[in-house]
Amino acid sequence: MEALLSLIVILPFLSATILGISYLIDSKKNLSNTYYATIALTTPAIVTLLSFVLAFEISTMPHDTPLYAHLFDWIKVGQFHIEMRFMLDRLSMIMVGLVSFVGTLIHIYAVGYMQDDEGFGKFFAYFNFFLGSMLLLVVASNPIIMFIGWELVGLASYLLIGFYHKVSSNITAANKAFIVNRVGDFGFIIALSVLFIALEGKGFDFEAIKEGIEGLSSSTLSFVGALLFVGAMGKSAQIPLYVWLPDAMAGPTPVSALIHAATMVTAGVYMVARFGFLYNEIPHIGEFIAYIGAFSALMAALMASFERDIKKILAYSTMSQLGYMFIAVGLGAYGAGIFHLFTHAFFKALLFMGAGAVIIALHHEQDIFKMGNLRTFLPKTFITMLIATLAITSIPPFAGFFSKEAIINHAFLTQHYTLWIIAITTAFLTAYYMFRLIFVVFFAHSTKTYPHLIPLGKMIIYPLIVLAIGSATVGFLGIGHGFAHFVALPDRATPAPTHLLEYGLMAFNPLIAVGGIALAYRLFGTNPKPSKANIPIKALFIHKFYVDALYDRLFVSTLRSLSLFFDRVVDAKIIDGFLGLLTGGYRHLGVKLVSLQNGTVKTYATYIIFSVSLMSIALIYILEAQ
Amino acid sequence: MQHLLSMILFLPLLVAFTMGIFRVSIETLRMVTFGSSLMVLLFAVVVTSYFNVEGGMQFVHNSSWISHYGINYSIGLDAISLLLLLLIALLMPLIFLAIWEEQRKGYFYNLLLLQAGISGVIMAQDLILFYLFWESMLLPIFIMIGSYGYGMRHFNAMKIIIMTVFGSMSMLLAIIYLGYTHYTTVGFWSFELSNLAQLAFDSKTSILLAGAFLLAFAIKIPLFGFHTWMAPAYSSSPTAIVVVLSAIMAKLGVYGLYRFGFTLFEIPLGFYTPYVILLCLIGIVFYSIHAIMQRDLKRIFAFSSGAHLSLITLGLFMTNIYAWSGGLYLLATHAIASAGIFLMIGMLGRRTQNIQIAHLGGIASIAPRFAFFFAFFALAITGVPGTGGFVAELLIIVGAFKYHFWVGVVAAMTMLGAILFIFWTLQRTLFGTTQEVTKHFGDLSAIEIGILTPLVIILLITGIFPSLLLDFFDASLSTNLEAFQGGVK
Repeated sequence: MEALLSLIVILPFLSATILGISYLIDSKKNLSNTYYATIALTTPAIVTLLSFVLAFEISTMPHDTPLYAHLFDWIKVGQFHIEMRFMLDRLSMIMVGLVSFVGTLIHIYAVGYMQDDEGFGKFFAYFNFFLGSMLLLVVASNPIIMFIGWELVGLASYLLIGFYHKVSSNITAANKAFIVNRVGDFGFIIALSVLFIALEGKGFDFEAIKEGIEGLSSSTLSFVGALLFVGAMGKSAQIPLYVWLPDAMAGPTPVSALIHAATMVTAGVYMVARFGFLYNEIPHIGEFIAYIGAFSALMAALMASFERDIKKILAYSTMSQLGYMFIAVGLGAYGAGIFHLFTHAFFKALLFMGAGAVIIALHHEQDIFKMGNLRTFLPKTFITMLIATLAITSIPPFAGFFSKEAIINHAFLTQHYTLWIIAITTAFLTAYYMFRLIFVVFFAHSTKTYPHLIPLGKMIIYPLIVLAIGSATVGFLGIGHGFAHFVALPDRATPAPTHLLEYGLMAFNPLIAVGGIALAYRLFGTNPKPSKANIPIKALFIHKFYVDALYDRLFVSTLRSLSLFFDRVVDAKIIDGFLGLLTGGYRHLGVKLVSLQNGTVKTYATYIIFSVSLMSIALIYILEAQ
Repeated sequence: MQHLLSMILFLPLLVAFTMGIFRVSIETLRMVTFGSSLMVLLFAVVVTSYFNVEGGMQFVHNSSWISHYGINYSIGLDAISLLLLLLIALLMPLIFLAIWEEQRKGYFYNLLLLQAGISGVIMAQDLILFYLFWESMLLPIFIMIGSYGYGMRHFNAMKIIIMTVFGSMSMLLAIIYLGYTHYTTVGFWSFELSNLAQLAFDSKTSILLAGAFLLAFAIKIPLFGFHTWMAPAYSSSPTAIVVVLSAIMAKLGVYGLYRFGFTLFEIPLGFYTPYVILLCLIGIVFYSIHAIMQRDLKRIFAFSSGAHLSLITLGLFMTNIYAWSGGLYLLATHAIASAGIFLMIGMLGRRTQNIQIAHLGGIASIAPRFAFFFAFFALAITGVPGTGGFVAELLIIVGAFKYHFWVGVVAAMTMLGAILFIFWTLQRTLFGTTQEVTKHFGDLSAIEIGILTPLVIILLITGIFPSLLLDFFDASLSTNLEAFQGGVK
């Protein structure tokens, strides 16, 4: 079993290396797409298979005995002893299964999607590399190895966002993603270092940390918990580090589906759940996380409601749903948060892949207001996307209903009424902007025709269908808190609701969603028009709260001016100026001395007389002294 | 075995003089120099295989040279100097391969002299001997920049030599004073490091002496405030010299501090520690920001080098095992990564005759291999996990937090520092659409790939299996650290 667990991580890296080297060697493009696709697809398929085998193993064992695989000692310096060691407990098992299963489907989809791209081999090298990094992040048994995976998924994300590298703005988006993520990682690494120094000598595996933190002061733990969350803000696109996610849509659509919806962006939620034992000691930080999540959810929903790029709508929606997950894990309902992460992966991947299908069919058109009536032309895409949309708007019995319901109700039951109101408002907006998308793309302009539609291959359609089945059904896993009990995370206790209250809440959420759908239909059902920035508040939403401009002014311009200042003033004027004074003084002295040696006999005669007289006087004194 | 070190030291010199006397053709010269650099690498590998990890100073050879003043030809190696020796021995053959097409013979002679000088600095155990090599490695650099360089090469050659010689002069004075003190207190002249380490001074004198050494090394590294020779020298230098400057020479400043500073002046260095740490922290931030708006690839990576050297020096001065291991690790991995990037800037310059970033772009779409290697080295410099730089930075950051919280925070900024300019540089160099000078950019040749691949492999191995190298010098470091801490107490 240990060998299987190691293989799960090693295989994707191995195939990424093979693909990458093949691509670099194959400069004449002799290797066929089939060659690359075979290697690229075999790996996630095997990994999925392995993960199912391991899942079976894990679910039969008691929840507190994880499976370990020790590969080698990574670092051993002083007390800093880090092993390359993997841990599979129920939490990581869920993540491994999810990442590899959804990952496989997206790989299949990508083979269809990327078929005509000249960077086909490179794309799958990156894709497999991402898969390996994500799995490393998930199964790491200590936070340092987790951090390695954490950084590597960021690198994969950078490479894939900038995949179409001839367009400079895509690279700008990729840079932005990496840099903003590194800002988060800056917090993460500080948190880990402080935690390590505080626990020095007690080991640094998750279970060792769990035992070790009992002796730590609450202020240290709060500091560590808050800064770990800064890392999560970056990776999971929460306020204020979310700015990279909408731009990240510059990458190919399968990338958006896999990395920027289903897996990587959820790493922050996973991390908080993984450190649940720590956050349970510091509930006030947890509350802070929940509020950040709630505001991110609301803000993203507002921006999505005014966006017209189909992928960016989904990007904001991802940020918004991540916000829900943070409400859950922040309030200590880790099981609920991970459950939403789980269901979200299905319907959000599906939404992106559906959007990608539409984009491909329409020759890379992404503006929803240039679409309409597509339900007659792309029926399969329409049905599957509709299922995903029903899931995200939490209409029963689709998956999102169960998971989102659990979160919203948890906020209510723990008496966080502000959070509850924000969550409910966001749910309304979610229904509104998602059905706005559905109506505008698939229903409106019912006479519109598409003579040049590109037909969609099986590789693109089949994964949609599988995910649609998932989006419709995986919610049932959550009935009676089944999912949360299974993952067995250290959830904080919640007051049990009365039956009346429970049913009331359960009915309330879908009603809110229906309200949102109705509004969307009224505005966009038949003859949709894009929103104009005619009143200030709308302008605020359409311009994304002006945050990008603010960051640009605050950081980018400042750093550039500072850089020029260092070059032109500090170096050239101050330091070299000072050195110039030294050398200049030396030179002046030289010039003065040179003037003594002017070549006229008269001057030299003067020196001679002058010095001879001086010497004579000196001689007289010396002789007298004797 | 005993003479292996001397062979490593004198083989390049011998080759240079023989070739010079017979005035051989350029073809012979390049074959023989390349062959001799391979020989040196072989010797270095043999030395490594006989090296005892637990053994402290080894392969010691000591014979009298100028006996009246107690100046000896005294050489030896410990794990740290062996590491540096391996680095230079590995890089020289690659550099000779990279300049294979070069027609100017001076390149080869100067590089041979440079290799001898650097090896001497690494091995010397006698301070006068050390000083001799320390200065002699500067001369080839001066000549190369002055005769084969670019831009304001004469001015920049003068600038580097005046600034560094100013530092070494202060060190020479201190060395002579040490020898003289040995003469007056013990009764005979000696410049042997182990002898001089026994001397005791009153605190004022020792602070002055330590300061004199520190000045020489601070300029060589260069720490913030002593750095204005760096960017001009890098931008004016031929590729081969930039590689040596960044990968090895700068590191010798840190090595000098470690070998001589920390052996001779345990306590007075403590007096300087806060100031040095402050300069290092300023350096990390200052150089990174400074690099953002540079327009020349060599200057950008010169500042990047400066930032990393500050980080290495920081690691050394924090004197705990994490910071020391990390500093040493960064010394090795940054040498490899920066050698890679500067070799590639040379390859780029040969193709485009232009390394101004504004004229580049679009390389990735026509030369994917070049783009891959270039991006790999650049990312290795930013310390991406999987490359050795990550391990090193991680250890230094942990060590910095052990030392002091705020020092840790600034040290962690190194994670942000490099990305500020590297990603923008990559964008403008490799991506986007091609321009006039990159329109016919040829991809890497087989030989070029052969030069770069060993460096990539080393960076990956040091990143994935750090224990291999860390365990190698762990014993040496722990012993020296304990000795040092014992001395301070």
